[in-house]
Amino acid sequence: MQITRRQRQGAVISLVAMVDVLMIMLVFFMVTSTFLDLDMIPMAERAPDAPAPDVVQGAAVAAPGSPVMVRLGADGRSYLRGRALDADALTAALRAPDLRGAEVLVLPSGQADVQALVRVIDAITRAGPSAMRILRVEVRP
Amino acid sequence: MRLVRRPRRAAPETIVALIDVVFFLLVFFLLIGRMDATAPFEVLPPLSDGGTDLPGGGATVAVAADGTLALDGAAMPEAAVLDALRTRLRDAPDLRVRVNAHGAAPLHRFLPLAAEIEALGAREVVLVVTPGVP
Repeated sequence: MQITRRQRQGAVISLVAMVDVLMIMLVFFMVTSTFLDLDMIPMAERAPDAPAPDVVQGAAVAAPGSPVMVRLGADGRSYLRGRALDADALTAALRAPDLRGAEVLVLPSGQADVQALVRVIDAITRAGPSAMRILRVEVRP
Repeated sequence: MRLVRRPRRAAPETIVALIDVVFFLLVFFLLIGRMDATAPFEVLPPLSDGGTDLPGGGATVAVAADGTLALDGAAMPEAAVLDALRTRLRDAPDLRVRVNAHGAAPLHRFLPLAAEIEALGAREVVLVVTPGVP
């Protein structure tokens, strides 16, 4: 008589435990995920070897050509050469032949909000200036 | 003779299909979720149609509408924010600093802060915006 050893079956792993873990992870990521679509506007970029700007002295604005100044009032309205302009009118004015491609300086009021500044930046960017700077007035005692 | 009908057993549903679906969803949320520290106050970034895609990573400075500051989700005064950023920039000079300012935050709070961060030596300071027409 020949005795054959029965092949040992591999240990049965319950799939239910794995499904439990997966479900918990799934619910965790569903709850903690935020669906935010965010963009960015660069505020400062400089080469790795460039020195940090001296914030105390304030940056002296070199003026090659003739820069044009856009003022942002406390009420969020923008002014070009003394005229109040909305965003579209500002873009159109900066596209005029005498201002096309000029460097634009933005002088915002400290009382205006970030949204107003971004609106002006967008309007100026659409006009395609050669450069844009934001000026800041420091009050010294 | 008594005939006994055997109780019908429910058809075994394959659990493998369920695992497939759950695993797919898990990977989906893993990929699209971004582990960002949210600010301890409400921040609604300004609307802009001129922004570019915001890459992940970096330090996030949140500015509330009333000027309160937070760094990577922890509220702290301005001096502490700048100190922490100075330390981090010393270790990683390429650190991108994202300023996540509320659209209603006043510029007399936001602009000096951005200038101070730049003066710390940050090579890239960006303003976080929400895509859309303002």
